[in-house]
Amino acid sequence: MTAAVPVADAPAPVATHCPYCALQCGMDLTPAADQRAGRASLPVTVTPRQFPTNGGGLCQKGWTSATVLRAPDRLTTPLVRGAGGELVPASWDAALDLVAGRLSALAAEHGPETVAVFGGGGLTNEKAYTLGKFARAVLRTPNIDYNGRFCMSSAAAAGNRAFGLDRGLPFPVTDLAGADAILLLGSNVAETMPPFVQHLAGARSAGGLVVVDPRRSATARLADGGQGIHLQPVPGTDLVVLLALLHVLLAERLVDRAYLDARTSGSDDVARSVAAWWPERAETVCGVPAEELRRVARLLAAASPSRGGRGAYVLTGRGVEQSAQGTATVTAAINVALALGLVGRVGSGYGCLTGQGNGQGGREHGQKCDQLPGYRRIDDPAARAHVAAVWGVDPATLPGPGVPAVALLTSLGTPGGPRALLVHGSNVVVSAPNADRVRERLAALDLLVVCDVVPSETALLADVVLPTTQWAEEEGTMTNLEGRVIRRRRAAGPPGEARSELWILAELARRLGSDVALGTDPAAVFDELARASAGGVADYSGLSHARLDAHEAAGGEGLYWPCPATHADTSCDGGHPGTPRVFLERFATPDGRARMVAVDHAGPSDDVRPDAPVHLVTGRVLQHYQSGAQTHRVPELERLVPEPYVELHPLLGLRVGVGDGALARLTSARGVIEATARWTDAVRPDTVFMPFHWSGAGSVNRLTTDAVDPVSAMPEFKVCAVAVTPAAEPAPTAAPVETQEVPA
Amino acid sequence: MSHDPQEGLRVPHRVVVVGHGMVGARLADELSRRDVDGALDVTVLGAEPYEPYNRVLLSDVVAGRTDVAAIGMPTVDDGRTRVLRGTAAVAVDRDARVVLGDDGARHPYDHLVLATGATARLPAVPGLGTDPTALPAGVHALRTLDDAREVVAATVNAPRAVVVGGGVLGVEVALGLAGRGLPTTLVHGADAPMDRQLGGEAGRVLRAALQAEGVTVRTGVRPDEVLVVGGRAVGVRLAGAVREPGETLGAGLVVLACGTTPETSLARRAGLAVERGVVVGPDLASVTDPQVFAVGDCAQPPEGSRGLVAEGWDQARRLADALVALAARPRAAHRRPDRPREHLRLPGDGAGPSMAVRLGTLLSSRAPGGPASGVDARGTDVVKVKAGPLSVVAMGRCGSGRAPVPGERTLRLADPAAGRYVEAVVADGVLVGATCVGDARVAADLTAAYTRRTPVPADPAFLLLTPVAPAAEPASSPEHMPDDATVCRCNGVTKHDIAACVADGASTQDDVARATRATTGCGSCTEAVCGLVDWLTAARAEGARRPGAALGQEAGAVHSSV
Repeated sequence: MTAAVPVADAPAPVATHCPYCALQCGMDLTPAADQRAGRASLPVTVTPRQFPTNGGGLCQKGWTSATVLRAPDRLTTPLVRGAGGELVPASWDAALDLVAGRLSALAAEHGPETVAVFGGGGLTNEKAYTLGKFARAVLRTPNIDYNGRFCMSSAAAAGNRAFGLDRGLPFPVTDLAGADAILLLGSNVAETMPPFVQHLAGARSAGGLVVVDPRRSATARLADGGQGIHLQPVPGTDLVVLLALLHVLLAERLVDRAYLDARTSGSDDVARSVAAWWPERAETVCGVPAEELRRVARLLAAASPSRGGRGAYVLTGRGVEQSAQGTATVTAAINVALALGLVGRVGSGYGCLTGQGNGQGGREHGQKCDQLPGYRRIDDPAARAHVAAVWGVDPATLPGPGVPAVALLTSLGTPGGPRALLVHGSNVVVSAPNADRVRERLAALDLLVVCDVVPSETALLADVVLPTTQWAEEEGTMTNLEGRVIRRRRAAGPPGEARSELWILAELARRLGSDVALGTDPAAVFDELARASAGGVADYSGLSHARLDAHEAAGGEGLYWPCPATHADTSCDGGHPGTPRVFLERFATPDGRARMVAVDHAGPSDDVRPDAPVHLVTGRVLQHYQSGAQTHRVPELERLVPEPYVELHPLLGLRVGVGDGALARLTSARGVIEATARWTDAVRPDTVFMPFHWSGAGSVNRLTTDAVDPVSAMPEFKVCAVAVTPAAEPAPTAAPVETQEVPA
Repeated sequence: MSHDPQEGLRVPHRVVVVGHGMVGARLADELSRRDVDGALDVTVLGAEPYEPYNRVLLSDVVAGRTDVAAIGMPTVDDGRTRVLRGTAAVAVDRDARVVLGDDGARHPYDHLVLATGATARLPAVPGLGTDPTALPAGVHALRTLDDAREVVAATVNAPRAVVVGGGVLGVEVALGLAGRGLPTTLVHGADAPMDRQLGGEAGRVLRAALQAEGVTVRTGVRPDEVLVVGGRAVGVRLAGAVREPGETLGAGLVVLACGTTPETSLARRAGLAVERGVVVGPDLASVTDPQVFAVGDCAQPPEGSRGLVAEGWDQARRLADALVALAARPRAAHRRPDRPREHLRLPGDGAGPSMAVRLGTLLSSRAPGGPASGVDARGTDVVKVKAGPLSVVAMGRCGSGRAPVPGERTLRLADPAAGRYVEAVVADGVLVGATCVGDARVAADLTAAYTRRTPVPADPAFLLLTPVAPAAEPASSPEHMPDDATVCRCNGVTKHDIAACVADGASTQDDVARATRATTGCGSCTEAVCGLVDWLTAARAEGARRPGAALGQEAGAVHSSV
């Protein structure tokens, strides 16, 4: 601690938010008194800040987040692959000229669609917006999508279909505290967003936390001791659990009939569709005893407002969404919530727990292959005209819809597919499914350009690497899991020559000879974003950096979209108050009713079979984030979880001859990996679990399937079939080189 | 497909489905979902006036476990499929390929599907006659929605009920009636109920469980006569292992659950091969006429039939695939390969591996079997009794009648005093059959292992118990907590870390939080941290007060390790 520093000289702390997940915990960054010390000390000190989502708490990732600012291998200069195949430092001019020149040449030869763009859910709203604008208006390519496709797309598709609007939590997260019951499906919040757990306290004390997870995860254990119920279905069958719950609600007349009549459409079809899922049948598919299903249905009903309860929530996470029937599963969860009359009522509801820091905002402002800013559809002529006007271009020049992430990655370097790819804020060779194929496709490109803060596994494959600023070094906004628009603030300067993507994209546009103006001032970019979003589903037009700052300084409750412009001055709080809770009056569908859609269970695309008789599920650990590009560079976190591992039940370990601590080999139809076995009874004996934060020999996404959901194009990360054997012999295929030296 | 040059020339392929029950309606639905291009012209004839409903749940209606309104099944609503409710098929002219309806209409077909189901089998005893639709008042076979409604109505006035037949349905109905407070006797000819699914020992456990639920179980007896006075049932006279000759059970309500007989009269009259059911091959086509198929209870497939709806739904799925393929074949080249099909994946629809077709009809996932592997009904033959808290499950190799098979291992856990019986039959490293009474958790695990063919543990005896220990409570008292136990998950702080912190002088939770960040995440561990700090500081004070005395072992370990 720096207690010796005289108070008068201490720089004021900067109020901002954690760089990691969508909970966006409030934190103060206190700039170090003397930053000249260079890399030896960190430029800021993190302290938790009281903010509704975290209540003053931080997990270990947040506490140690400043370490990433001075990662030993932080990118501080552009790198260009030299004649010898090495990445060598280059000047910005040289690197940008090279990129612009190659992009121009490729586009001239193959057409504008030969350039593809891959974005990320960690980018600020301003960056995400500018990236979409750069792709559509400067490059004029339809080929843009982002890693949020791997996170939010199923929930987004189901939410849009049911409610006409997709906001992860359509209510403030603090509302959860008052509920008697919370049904949490496929989310391990105790590890993925630990401070969130405090919002479950009310339901736990009422015995009403229901966790559905094939694993007895840290979150499932929160239901121990009478605080709730853990349902442990066979992987890939969460949908059946939900269909059976709805069946019981209908069979036992526990539904809110008045609500269904007044606020929904399609309930009769849905009711008929679940007549086939009586609990005993469901049990034979999902492995959850019929009476447990009944117990949970009754518990939820007792908590619901129509039956005098204090409220109930249904929440989904990636565990059920990252499935080839992810949209159907979320739809079934929504159907349960609607049948209980929860959605659009204060104190109850359905929500999806957004994963990435700006997973919400990132999906609203034009990184998605079929969307323009404001959550507008790119094939809607009115939306095209509006956005084109803001951008000062002819609507006819805007490309049409592109293809979603997996299809985009799969098409790279194929005949007719993109020949150049720009990657921003994503580490696709670790985080995309069927990762070996992704690596293969990247290698087939003529040009790969990666913008990142550290030499990620993807950056190491690039022809050009551009160093960017990160969280504490930039201004901007994020939209957290509640749809609350919050400010990210600069507390330190970037090291070396790292620059913001806003500057990089503007420079590229200039060098490409585009006359489309790309802003570099985040506040100004936000103002443009706000105008572009005006009238859209996700309307930010009543917001500005100045208003957000003023609102926060005044101790405001927070500003949630939609927040349309009013005639009042948006720099103060005379404007639209924002919408903490949507759907209270009506849904955003044409008739104002929530649409219930009948869905059915199809099962995993890659199911167990004699030569792959074990389910593989994947997930996260508390100490690491996504591909680990950041957290592997924090010694404190890396020390606790230094390497990948595979959790397996002792009965499975005994059967296949893999002891606790031994090296296990996992083989799927797509790849072979090895990892240290950890015996635990927290997994079913028919299932193994692996965290997905690593590249190389233990990179689980080399096994996962890239089969996708037919509606959302979400890949089926969360379940596939593997064989488990001891790693007796050397691995058959050596891991690709991971240890390339990077010049500092 | 509007650009299809053959569009105008196309003649839809006519499919007539006779029967609008659980399987016929499901087939129509499956056809409708697959036939996005309108290549089929589907007509469904249903004798019952109702929309299709879930017949399996009729026993739940009797038990009061489900709202009658909640058992309606999906109806096809694609604007193309014709569903003629209240219309029975009276004849089939296979030469002309026409079905004649009882309304006089003629329905020409290219392919005919019989899904006529089954009727209740009546015991051949005086008092009942032979027509299931003309039973005396107070006597019901639980086959239709009307039956269920009448049984429920009868429970109000009848002083006692007798359920004849102790199979799955009989057990469910007896439990349901007893649950409504009606004195109920279950009469079953074999030595124990559900003898088809349960071996003797399991059956005895079930029998005891039924008795505990208030059902009087009489085994080894059969009805000799249903006593009818003034057209109304008043009791059942028993034969067999009776207490006295001509023993009679008084009952105002008699429910017959003696099994079913495939409804094959239409097929028989049409000259199709009929044994127990309509004889069909692996492709579900009649062995007599390849244009005619049979599915569900009326069919007699080569692999046999257990009368479970899962089998019928699986057949509906397979037949829908086949019929769509037949209709599409001439125009296969015009199919759009990239057409998105929501919640429906068909072989060859995408590039993904192993796109097994499972449209929710299957009771389970299963290994993808090519045509060469033949029909595999495994996974559809799980019998799970709908009996509320009483768990009774049997699957595959089970029941008292089965002959021993070389190479099979049978493992049993008999715990009759606790109402539990578990049996697992293992061959070639997988579960090929199981019986489980009185343990819902084990039953669910056995079912998952059976339907998915997941390999059994090295010692299959582990199948007999739930392999997951109940959640181990964390050591409640600080002294019993292991040194490396994680106390604060959010910040990865162990008991050891906190002890070290206290040894360095920390005496409050805030001190510990500052030094270790424990409690600064979700806050769930606050109580545990406070408890530890109190205990550790007390131990330290104790040590300080009596320097000569031995420190607590834990505290000593802390000091030595800091």
